[in-house]
Amino acid sequence: MAKKKIHIENTVRRLRFNNNEMTQLELADLVGISRQTVVAIEKYKYTPSLELAFKIALAFNKEIQEVFFIN
Amino acid sequence: MNIKIRNTLTEIISVAIAITWIYSKLNAAANMSIASIAQVLVQGIGISILAAIFSAIAIHIVSAIITKSKEKNVVDERDNIIEFYALRLSNVIFGISLLIILALLGWFNLPINFGIIAITLSVFLASICSTFLKIYLYK
Repeated sequence: MAKKKIHIENTVRRLRFNNNEMTQLELADLVGISRQTVVAIEKYKYTPSLELAFKIALAFNKEIQEVFFIN
Repeated sequence: MNIKIRNTLTEIISVAIAITWIYSKLNAAANMSIASIAQVLVQGIGISILAAIFSAIAIHIVSAIITKSKEKNVVDERDNIIEFYALRLSNVIFGISLLIILALLGWFNLPINFGIIAITLSVFLASICSTFLKIYLYK
């Protein structure tokens, strides 16, 4: 398999706004991370672990591939 | 300024205070005995711990007064990764410093006093570099 780095994007920011304009802090408290980590995920500066990705998807009641995807 | 950067700043402040204190006490290091140098270094480490505690309290109080809010200090997987990077950097810096110090001691036949002081200062240097890396990664 090629060693090409994959770029994972997400729809966390849009999903937050679609969920009654949930704040970053509310999402952070919901999944047990810091607000700074939510900021980093939304800016694609940090790719969460599989466990955290599932937690975020569950927080929005979505499938993981609806939240995180390869562009 | 978020809580992570505030915590990291307290580390830098405490290390800076300790280095300043050690530097002021070790002016005549060449003429000092190893025991007295060790005493100063241990006191310096103690001062850095006390400075870290007091500066953390002061910075958190000032920040709470200015922002009028109390931010929870949540440690998550990203913080652990950043801590790991910082630890790796400090290990590398300390390792390189140790090699350089040992080489200099051997080549220039410097007294062991300088070696002990340089090794302690390289610990502080590694600590400062790792905290700057943490600030960069938290931003």
